[in-house]
Amino acid sequence: MTTYILRRLLLMIPVALLVTVGIFVIIRIAPGDPVLTYAGEDKDPATIATVRAELGLDQPLPIQYAAWLSRAVQGDLGRSFQTHQRVLEAISERLPVTLELGLAAILISVSVALVVGTLSAIKRNSALDLLTTSVTLAGVSFPNFYLGLLLILLFAYVVPGHLLPPGGWTPFSTDPADNLRRLILPAITVATASLAVNLRQVRSSLLDVFGQDYVRTARAKGLRERAVVVRHALKNALIPVVTIIGIQVGAIIEGAIITETIFFIPGIGRLAVQAIPSQDYPIVQGVVLISALSFMLSTLAVDILYAFLDPRISFSAAEA
Amino acid sequence: MARTISRALAIFAALAILLAACTGTTSGGPSGSAATGAKAAYGGSVTFAMNSDISNMDPMLSGLFVDRHLMYAMYDSLVRVTPKGEIIPWLSALPTVSADGKSYTFKLRTDVKYHDGTTFDAESVKWNLDRYRLTKESLRLGELAPVDTVTVVDPATVRVDLKTPSAPFLSVLVDRSGMMLSRKTVEAGGADFTRKAFNAGSGPFILTEAVKDDHYTFKKNPDWWGKAANGDKLPYLDTVIIKPITDGDVRLTNVRTGQVQATNAVTGKDVPTVKADSTLVYQEIAGIGYNSLVPNRAPTFIFNEKRYVQAVSLAMDRDELLNAGPAKGVGVVAYGPIAPSHFAYDPSFKPFAKPDIAQAKKLVADVGKGPLKFELLVSSGDAATLQFAQLLQSELLKADITMDIKTLLFNEIVTLQQQHKQSGMTLIGWSGRIDPDGNVYDFNYTGRPNNDSAYTNKDVDALLDQTRTTSDPAKRKDLFLKAQQIFVVDDPSRIFYSFNAAQLLTAKSIQGFQDFPDQLPRFETVWVQK
Repeated sequence: MTTYILRRLLLMIPVALLVTVGIFVIIRIAPGDPVLTYAGEDKDPATIATVRAELGLDQPLPIQYAAWLSRAVQGDLGRSFQTHQRVLEAISERLPVTLELGLAAILISVSVALVVGTLSAIKRNSALDLLTTSVTLAGVSFPNFYLGLLLILLFAYVVPGHLLPPGGWTPFSTDPADNLRRLILPAITVATASLAVNLRQVRSSLLDVFGQDYVRTARAKGLRERAVVVRHALKNALIPVVTIIGIQVGAIIEGAIITETIFFIPGIGRLAVQAIPSQDYPIVQGVVLISALSFMLSTLAVDILYAFLDPRISFSAAEA
Repeated sequence: MARTISRALAIFAALAILLAACTGTTSGGPSGSAATGAKAAYGGSVTFAMNSDISNMDPMLSGLFVDRHLMYAMYDSLVRVTPKGEIIPWLSALPTVSADGKSYTFKLRTDVKYHDGTTFDAESVKWNLDRYRLTKESLRLGELAPVDTVTVVDPATVRVDLKTPSAPFLSVLVDRSGMMLSRKTVEAGGADFTRKAFNAGSGPFILTEAVKDDHYTFKKNPDWWGKAANGDKLPYLDTVIIKPITDGDVRLTNVRTGQVQATNAVTGKDVPTVKADSTLVYQEIAGIGYNSLVPNRAPTFIFNEKRYVQAVSLAMDRDELLNAGPAKGVGVVAYGPIAPSHFAYDPSFKPFAKPDIAQAKKLVADVGKGPLKFELLVSSGDAATLQFAQLLQSELLKADITMDIKTLLFNEIVTLQQQHKQSGMTLIGWSGRIDPDGNVYDFNYTGRPNNDSAYTNKDVDALLDQTRTTSDPAKRKDLFLKAQQIFVVDDPSRIFYSFNAAQLLTAKSIQGFQDFPDQLPRFETVWVQK
């Protein structure tokens, strides 16, 4: 297993390099001049030329990339064009916020999917099954920003007592109770999109497993249905679900982008949303690199988890 | 649950529509001292929502309008401005100006300390002004270009000598170019100062916390030198928190639920709602910022022909654009760039009070090249701007003018404008400056950086040069109006259509919050009624 993990980690390096080359080129060939954005309303040509040279944007693309890469391997991802903050510092300030939001969303999504998906599978084609299918499809059809706004308006104007605040953020270390209150609505917003996928996956995996011989045998031996489902069926049904959840963990940053903007949460997603239209190249590059690395690490973690969930899976077989 | 949500939204929408039918005038706002007769109370906290986050806190490198929201709380300038546009003493008395208009002598306050404990004096002023005008990446180079030298006369006196007389020079010192910072803190901060400008200013509030994309916290400066009109020591508030909330609906919801007590950005569709809300106070005055269509008047481009620009201007119904467009009546119709709060404003200047379709058609016919068709570039992802463009498109069709709408990234549009390569017109705004020079000169003078329409007219250049060398306000006004007649009517550089509204929405308990035409909040006179 160690060899397998090391090999996967080494493979991440060329993939990360390809990602950096890709995003480096894409954002620079996009139309528009970031120096004009930086200069704001002041357009003195001499100032703009000076700023362009200061930011290194007067150099050919390969030189710009080589300069960026030589600093990046030393842990320096540069400074934001707009705020001059170190990119790594900007990301590390915001990453815990996005992780907390993303993990809370996954927790909600997985918990609800497990319970409801299991019940849907057990009571297949019943009214409950149809209801959950309809509700989850509706949830995944709602655009993130619309759902977020609806929830804000609901708790601001309809549900009495202003129980849940209309956005904003308090760090857990400052006030745990307020942090959790502010986490609920955005976490539900993010969770809704993945909930449908997870629920359907749990349901269909369980239905597959229910058709297996060993489950039929367990029922024939007189085991109660709860024992059949929980002790035998669910464990095996979860293997494909784990894959999907692993991908969702890796995609936490992308999932949070719109939600963080609506709820004005100071996470990585909001950082990216501001950096992209203002062509803040270092920030965009840094966020994309971190996203790519987190995605690769989460898929590696899922592969490792497989081996523990299913003893039939071995890394020597995977490498072959 | 879904039904309850739908019902709530339907009621909310119906109320908004109903109230939109009512046009309201500005509700009177409180003055700097207690307008209700109640004595101003010390203490309390106000949370203010702005519609975008800042880029940085260094006036030298600041390029965004929103940056100034924080700067007015924590920095003092040499001079400031009243809501009526009069320049008043601040860190300095109003300067004495030499007869030739080239030398300004500032007598400084001697009771000012920066938040880090260092003393504000003439050396500090010189250091700040030289930093703004001599640092190569400074974004204040253009504003301070007229300055030749800055001399310390004595610890409380500074003389600024200009290369040529510049009547708008003093107005420039109201804002970022005149903001005074502690040299010790700026130099210690290095590159990180732009985000961590703690203790750098001398203003009424001290920045104590800065969390990008979340909030900026200011605590009262107990040693601030300012006093209210009634002699009260200022500021009243203990704490000010400024939050960036980009979505208009979320921002308003935060105000209505009490999470936020004030904001200066209310979308047009929500104005009737807030006016009807008895827990809120809404103020609105004409701002100094304007909106315009920018034709490319460079040779070989379609709008090099001035009759086409005039035709479009004549075909536009500015009242309809303001009232039926996304602004929903918020703002003031504009015919030129000189704002209602500018000393040079002429309320009788309404060359296009009503659309003149017949004249527009005649102008196009006179050119003799068939119907006019052009492209309007609008910023993508901005639904309000697109809605405006579509309304404009329908108006121009009445004059047989075809306007195709093309959406591009804002950056791309700015780049095309800068290079004078836009084929037709663009939609662009300007946040405005206190002196009309800041709204006029750079946009209409040949070859200037903000002259996005590549406009050139020798008579306008000559008139605008005179507005800078003449200090007499009456003469300057006359010159500005003569120039405006040319670059708006006779040989248009742009098509102006509205001035922004300077809005201020506050909870009813918030007193002393004055609405300024530059839309920037001043917290030093604000107090919370208990």
